[in-house]
Amino acid sequence: MDAGLLLLLQRIFDALTNSAIYASLALALVIIYRSTGLLNFAQGEMATFSAYVAFVLLVGAAPGLTGGSLAAAIGAPYPTVAAIGAAVVFGAIAGGVTERLVIRPLRETSELAVVSITIGLFLGVNSLVEQWWGTAPRQFPSLFPDAASDYLDVAGARLRYSAIGAWATLLVLLAALAWLLQRTRGGLAFRAVSFNRESAELSGIRSARTLMWGWVLASALGAVAAALSASSVLLEPKMMLRVLVYAFAAATLGGLDSPRGAIIGGVVIGLSQTLVPAYIPFIGFELSVLPALVVMVIVLVVRPAGLFGTQRLERV
Amino acid sequence: MTEMMLKVEDLHARYGAVEVLRGLGFEVPDRSVVVILGANGAGKTTTLRALCNMCTTSGSILLEGEDISRAKTADIVRRGVAHVPQGRGTFPELSVMDNLRIGAYIRRDKEVNADIGRWFEIFPRLEERRDQLAGSLSGGEQQMLAVARALMCRPRLLLLDEPSLGLAPLIIEDLFERFIQLNKETGLTMLLVEQNANLALDMADYAYVIESGEIALHGPADQLKNDPAVQEAYLGA
Repeated sequence: MDAGLLLLLQRIFDALTNSAIYASLALALVIIYRSTGLLNFAQGEMATFSAYVAFVLLVGAAPGLTGGSLAAAIGAPYPTVAAIGAAVVFGAIAGGVTERLVIRPLRETSELAVVSITIGLFLGVNSLVEQWWGTAPRQFPSLFPDAASDYLDVAGARLRYSAIGAWATLLVLLAALAWLLQRTRGGLAFRAVSFNRESAELSGIRSARTLMWGWVLASALGAVAAALSASSVLLEPKMMLRVLVYAFAAATLGGLDSPRGAIIGGVVIGLSQTLVPAYIPFIGFELSVLPALVVMVIVLVVRPAGLFGTQRLERV
Repeated sequence: MTEMMLKVEDLHARYGAVEVLRGLGFEVPDRSVVVILGANGAGKTTTLRALCNMCTTSGSILLEGEDISRAKTADIVRRGVAHVPQGRGTFPELSVMDNLRIGAYIRRDKEVNADIGRWFEIFPRLEERRDQLAGSLSGGEQQMLAVARALMCRPRLLLLDEPSLGLAPLIIEDLFERFIQLNKETGLTMLLVEQNANLALDMADYAYVIESGEIALHGPADQLKNDPAVQEAYLGA
């Protein structure tokens, strides 16, 4: 294969893991946006917290590790998959509790209050993570085989198992989500509440409870995104900050209320982050967040509904 | 004495500082059709919304003797009150079938599909369009879907908010005939608010007229129909 083409293929492969991470966090944002019309700015930080929970469950009791002895008391250290699974469940429950205690009482007040409180949660959770576990990056075990030789040779380019694993995880989650939304009674209620809360109430659907389930789902997805992110780089308190910006860009590109849009948006943003600096030397890797922001601005100006978003039409 | 499905006393409702209902009282006997007439802004829609706790209210609302004035909207529906709101309240982004399934959300019995089949018999147009998005239906079809959706929860009391709004006269007549049929065949109690007084009075057993949030007049529907004041104000005589 032509060397230039091979390099392009390799760069695309390199972008895959990040794409999957952005897509899963974007999916979490979309679930909450769809049901409430609001963005949860704390989505990334809540996910980081869950990733630290996974870390504590992996390590167990260790000097200076907050929660370590508590984790040991419930059987830590756990194997990687069990620790991450438990952290995802923890994240889901924490998401539901947050909605119930912090978001729901404010919902009747004003939308701005809810957005402000998610920014407050963002800062609060971030400080809590730094306070408890410090700012130093920590080694997080990979979820998938990740030795130097763990790759698939595709026409000379290396497709790493971890990238395949990240995508397999995302696709399984997506299938589960589609099944939940399209095939279950709760999913029907969730769609009804998303489209029209009042009409849903008039069908006997308890919308407050349904919206809480949206937070549970979104937080579980966020926890998976954080686990993928920690296992592809390092675990640190600020790791989801950039991811959140990219996920916002991905969700905006996809249309904010479209799960399919979030996935495709995640891929486009992941690719642009790798390819744009690679082929436009002027931008460079320090500015790799730029393409995402440019995409976001262009979408909002040219096509605010995004690629797959619902164009709001109303018969009057 | 007739059993009362609904008994409302001293009902007040407000939006912010504006008081829309000022001490309304009315009754809906079991298995009857009652209509509330009134001009735009008289408080008709608010009355129905107040019954389902969709605005700030005070007063007593007894559903078969039990006070529901503090219950949540979804729980009032679960107690057997179906509400077809003005502007129809269907889900335009979902298919006809999904709309009907949402209507049956509170039920856990096995007869949901049988019920859907039954409403398809009564509203055959809906069956033809079962997989279409509700938003692509005509106004009349959407109104039929809204009614069918409301009936899917097997209500004891059906609240209808200006079902004739925006529909062609022939379609309105057809729709009202179906309401009468429903009431006669199943004994479903209905409370209807309307501006279209002629048809509503033909269908109803009893009628109330509200003006600026208060009951101005009430009586058996056929009596009200011949009342000179009503004729002048609402029947264009």
